[in-house]
Amino acid sequence: MILIKALLLYCLAFSQGVAGEAVLTEIAARLAKTPITQGDFHQQKQLKVLRKPLISTGTFTYDQNKGVIWKTLTPVISLLLVNESKLLTGQGEQAVPAAFGKVFKAMLGGDLAALTDGFSVTGTDQKTSWQLELTPKDEMLKKIISTMVLSGDTELRDLEIRETGGNITRISFDHITHPAQLTDEQQADFERLSP
Amino acid sequence: MSNKPILNVYHPKLTAGLWLAGMLVICILGGQALTKDWLETGFLALLPTGEQQPEIAKATRQHNQLSNRKVIWLAGAAATSGEAIAHAQKLKQQLEQSKLFNKVVLEFSQQQYIRQYQQLFPYRYQLLDAQTQEVLVKKPEDLIQQNLEILNSPIGQMQAADLERDPSLIFSRYFNAQNPIKLNLEQGIVVLSDQHRFWALLLTDLQDEKLQLDKLETLASLVDSATEQVKAAGGELLVSGMALFTAHGAESAKQEISTVGIGSSIGIIVLLWATFRSVRPLLLSSLAIGSGLLAALVICVLFFGKIHILTLVFGASLIGVADDYAQHFLCDSFGEKDWNPRKGLKFILPGLTLGLASNLLSYAGLGFSPFPGLQEVALFSAIGLLVAWLTVVLLFPLLLTGFTFDHQPGILKLTTYWEERWPLWVSKNRRWLGLILAVFVAGGLWRLAPQDDVRLLQSPPAELLRTADKIRSLFPMSPDNQFFLVSGKDQTDWHQNEQTLLKRLDAVKQQKALIAYEGLSDYWPAVNQQQQNYQLLKHQLYDSGLLERYMTELGFDERAVQAELKQFAEAERNTLALPDWLATADESKRQLWMGCDSGCCQSTVTLIGISDAGALAALQDLPGVVWVDQVESVSALFARYRIRASGLLLVAFCLATLGLGYKFGWRNGATIMSVPVVALAVSLAMLGWFDQLFSLFNLFALLLVLGIGVDYGLFFFMAGDRRASTSLGVTLSALTTLLAFGLLATSSTEIVHAFGFTVTAGIVTALLCAPLIGLKVIYSPRRHEEKTQTSCLRGK
Repeated sequence: MILIKALLLYCLAFSQGVAGEAVLTEIAARLAKTPITQGDFHQQKQLKVLRKPLISTGTFTYDQNKGVIWKTLTPVISLLLVNESKLLTGQGEQAVPAAFGKVFKAMLGGDLAALTDGFSVTGTDQKTSWQLELTPKDEMLKKIISTMVLSGDTELRDLEIRETGGNITRISFDHITHPAQLTDEQQADFERLSP
Repeated sequence: MSNKPILNVYHPKLTAGLWLAGMLVICILGGQALTKDWLETGFLALLPTGEQQPEIAKATRQHNQLSNRKVIWLAGAAATSGEAIAHAQKLKQQLEQSKLFNKVVLEFSQQQYIRQYQQLFPYRYQLLDAQTQEVLVKKPEDLIQQNLEILNSPIGQMQAADLERDPSLIFSRYFNAQNPIKLNLEQGIVVLSDQHRFWALLLTDLQDEKLQLDKLETLASLVDSATEQVKAAGGELLVSGMALFTAHGAESAKQEISTVGIGSSIGIIVLLWATFRSVRPLLLSSLAIGSGLLAALVICVLFFGKIHILTLVFGASLIGVADDYAQHFLCDSFGEKDWNPRKGLKFILPGLTLGLASNLLSYAGLGFSPFPGLQEVALFSAIGLLVAWLTVVLLFPLLLTGFTFDHQPGILKLTTYWEERWPLWVSKNRRWLGLILAVFVAGGLWRLAPQDDVRLLQSPPAELLRTADKIRSLFPMSPDNQFFLVSGKDQTDWHQNEQTLLKRLDAVKQQKALIAYEGLSDYWPAVNQQQQNYQLLKHQLYDSGLLERYMTELGFDERAVQAELKQFAEAERNTLALPDWLATADESKRQLWMGCDSGCCQSTVTLIGISDAGALAALQDLPGVVWVDQVESVSALFARYRIRASGLLLVAFCLATLGLGYKFGWRNGATIMSVPVVALAVSLAMLGWFDQLFSLFNLFALLLVLGIGVDYGLFFFMAGDRRASTSLGVTLSALTTLLAFGLLATSSTEIVHAFGFTVTAGIVTALLCAPLIGLKVIYSPRRHEEKTQTSCLRGK
């Protein structure tokens, strides 16, 4: 069963949490809840070993029922498709990192309560903006990720992942819209995820 | 009869003493043999191994060893994966408490992963996966592109974390390629999902590959109670494993043993009581049967080491057959007014002995099959009958002293009427009866279609199969039964052969004929390949300056670039030997290696999720490749032995005809043989008419029909003026035998059912035909011949 073990380190990206604190409910109430969310992202990965950050930009689409399309446009074009049970990348089908799909769903779909399954949550809720700090409960996840910080207003605007090794990933979301329908291209991408 | 001194020397006390001594020896031997674990329950134990080449047999053993111990549990919940995990965690505790397993795995630890990573890391420039090799050869720039893709992906944490040690990511690519099927983990637990549910996976290894019966029962009840508990908590539990099939087989075998055993015993008691209305015959019959069964069990265990539970199912049917000898002796006492055991024995001994001989001949036929199960049945039955016969011949004379009857049993009137009227009626109506018989037999034979399938040996309930299928579709990780055996004259040759096969398998996989395959050569490159890999990296990535450019652009500082180049240069002479690689691998991968032995290196290639076995079997023409399909080869064996068994039946038939012809003259021999011939024909026709299974096993059953048919024919042929007592004896023994085999026909295991059905049909026919024999003898014009026989038989 090395197979499963081997996947572990690879997968330790996200997990889920418990306990609905009051602040979470407040914030969740402010978030726009629609079946489809889309927008642009700007991701900056700061790796200790590199002198400059890895910067990538692209678009994302979230569909409540179908999952997430993460389309990187720079520096290389690549497509990542994920739902709760399947993950497709340019390298073919991959294991879905622990509840990755769910965390995306929680963050992009505004279902913050789902995050409490795997994280202890502390947060501040101000008039115009809010911030949440998530600490993983899962022992294995703790070894990789120290904290995740989410902030936003009526939308999730920024996400920061701090790894125990010192690497930091910052993703900011922009031009967020909530179309009523998926485009044909988006439909076709999601189609590839269906078994 | 000079060759049978026992006829002339009649010493009941001496022979009884002999019998007692013999049984004492059996009991002492039994005391030793039966205290060990002597019961075999596994299905594979029934399959022949001797037919295979030794290395295929060894590979098969190694292949099955691991999978036979595995039990897979999937705890499912509809709402969330967390709920499924909660069910699985509760289940885990329960399984650990059961003490049935030496491994219960729910959370998959990272320890071995980390160890393997560290051990293989120094050889990263030598270990390239096939895809990386291909990219490097065709267009190394693509490798760089793919790296950027991975590093920029929101899920590339692990590779990014390791970038310092593995800047080109070639080692993380190699590592990823080791695991062809990707599984999703939550809290270290594998979570699978289908449209309706999330499933948490639990893997267990049973303590023993061959579980004892009580452990199997514990396992079965554990599965039942766990299923109930998960269900009560709102979830669903799927369990599968070879042991569950074995447990089910053992359970139904146990039920059948008691059905057949108790059924036969009750039948015999009722018949004997109704006939003799005395305790002595009952006790004597039980003694004959009991000592026969005991001796059979003890000697079988001594001879085979273990005895299969299915053998005991057949063994239970022996109760009805072993009783025959006792009944003949007892029934003979009706034959004469001043009957005594001495006279009785003299009269019945030749018939009994010939009967025994023909039965032993039939069972010896079973022994010629390569199936361990049938060999056991043969020895068990032969010993059982022999000892029952010995008990009757050696012990009964003493114990029957003073045995008389002062009543006419009702059943005697019935059988007398039967042996007198039935033959007359038949001979009166022989024209149209013959026509009906001919049409019936011809039609039945016309409809007969042979079927040779190993699955006949095991008939698991549909639900167990459905669960196994469902688990396989959710978790396509358990290797299928079929596999490839790859050989080469040395490691390089083997490696080349396996690589050729794996490349072809990849194509087959693209065509969706299987889900995955696993071969060592994909993980461990041969020594020359390791050097080629290094050179490939050197030319395409390092010497070309591509790596340097990539690292600099990515943001590595100059020192890091130089360090990487230095490490690469220093690693040039590294080679990783196969044993060292194997030492880092897990059990299932290590198991693939068969080792090198006298100029031959071998490995197995396992296959997962085969949907088109034909496409795979076609690959066996590749050099050094053997396709091993256990199911197919055993089915082919069934077919081959069905034909051989037909020959055997013919030989047994000819032997019996020759023997009888030699002793009684050709015409009389043919007369006697007409009973088994008609019995065989009708039995076969019945199989056809009732759409019954016709396989190897029916032929073995027909061997028994032949033996019993000869018996009945003989008894009536030799009855002379004792037709009444003979017909009583034959009818009683036929009824008890019928009961035993009729009960076998109720078995849920196909072959047992087929056996029971065939023998039942044959015995009924033999019973109907046998009384006609005596008739012909009585009205035979050749009175002279009959007289000599009678006098010879009566010993006058």
